[in-house]
Amino acid sequence: MRQRGIRLGLSLLLATLGLFVFAVPASASGETVGGCMAEVLEHHGEIHGDVNHEHVEIQVHHLHEEELQDELEGCFEAPSPILPELNEIIWGGGAFLILFVVMVKKGFPAVKAAMDARADKIRDDLDAAEKAKTDAQSVHDDYEARLADAKNEASRLIDEARGAADQVRADLVAKAETDISEMKSRAASEIEASRQQAIADLRAEVAGIALGAAEKVVQSSLDDDAQRRLVDQYIDEVAGS
Amino acid sequence: MNVFALEFPPVSHLFEWPDIIFSGSLFAVNKTVLIYLAAVLITSAIFLTAGRQRGSLVPVGVQHVAESGVTFVEESVVMETMGPEGKKYLPFLTTMFFFILFSNIFEVVPGIQFPANSRMAVPITLALVVWVIYNFVGIRSQGFFGYLKNSLFPPGVPKALYLIVTPIELVSTFVVRPFSLAIRLWANMVAGHLLLVTFAILTHTLWNNGYVGAAAPFAMLVLMTGFEILVSVLQAFIFTILTAVYIGGSMHAEH
Repeated sequence: MRQRGIRLGLSLLLATLGLFVFAVPASASGETVGGCMAEVLEHHGEIHGDVNHEHVEIQVHHLHEEELQDELEGCFEAPSPILPELNEIIWGGGAFLILFVVMVKKGFPAVKAAMDARADKIRDDLDAAEKAKTDAQSVHDDYEARLADAKNEASRLIDEARGAADQVRADLVAKAETDISEMKSRAASEIEASRQQAIADLRAEVAGIALGAAEKVVQSSLDDDAQRRLVDQYIDEVAGS
Repeated sequence: MNVFALEFPPVSHLFEWPDIIFSGSLFAVNKTVLIYLAAVLITSAIFLTAGRQRGSLVPVGVQHVAESGVTFVEESVVMETMGPEGKKYLPFLTTMFFFILFSNIFEVVPGIQFPANSRMAVPITLALVVWVIYNFVGIRSQGFFGYLKNSLFPPGVPKALYLIVTPIELVSTFVVRPFSLAIRLWANMVAGHLLLVTFAILTHTLWNNGYVGAAAPFAMLVLMTGFEILVSVLQAFIFTILTAVYIGGSMHAEH
């Protein structure tokens, strides 16, 4: 209901506007069938307006019956809808022409330029992306290659180090063994020398003691060589016993 | 003021609208003329606004509308019928497409509901412009006699058949073509408008007489409104693509 009221109010407002602003004549020909008929009748009335009203009707009825009939029938006939109206051709053609000029001069080039600019930008971006991808790939490949080299180098170094370490260890072990055996043999020879020295010292000491004792016992003096021979003999006997 | 479709107009006003200003003169403005002007304003507004919106990589809003339209005309009309050398006609064809489309689409715009191309003025004017263009292009690219020869005596036809073919080609290419182009658009819009008005009046009348009966014509009205949107776009497309076909045909001799 409310919408209907609004519509009604709006219609009235627009109708009033139409009446006052655009001043459409209420009796514009062809606007309504009734208006057209009224106009035709009025027109006929004006022609014979010099006589009284009753007379006009009689005259219209008798003298202009056929003509009036035709004109009144004309009110029911709309103009052929397929025939263009000249004012619409002028406005429509003009409108198209104006639009065409606006489009050719301003609108179309601007839109097309924006589209082309975007297409160029996208193409450039894609090219740049492709180039960046290629670059990245080559950097990656390079990196991979260098990484592989580094890995090889590292493993080579490790192997080398391991080999060197093994060598060092083997050398150390060998050297240690050599040292040990040297030390052993030196120790043994030192021991032997000491033993020999001790034996010699002991023998000399014992000879001295025995000589002294023998001198005292036999009271005879023997030359040194005889004494030494006797002593050695004695010692050997002692040692042999 | 007989512009807004707020009330059902008298049947005589289905296509004939009373003048609003400059009544009776050559420059009389009526509803049809206002729709033509609206089509100019809308198309200009879309393209001029879209042309200013630069820098965005993804087009949105009117820019998208304008660019979709241009791409559509370029790819579906120009490239399909004329190939790359037809691109110089792209502004003309784009203008024509949008102008016809917006003149048509007011058929379903609430409060207006009138296709301006159900009046013969613009269809016949555009069709005659197209007629002039394609004949001019034909004469320019093939020479006057070459164009006539290729149009009237299509190669590959047995000589005897020229007796029949040549008069047919003469009439169809030079006489009937502009009228068939104009009438196709005009008649489609007239038929669409009549359909919508018929179902609208049926709905209105049946609604006032017990509500229930109005459901069926109302459903049809909704369906037909959707259908007429399709027809509006389709007729704009057909008019444009036929224009492109005619111009493209004149650019090269038929093989």
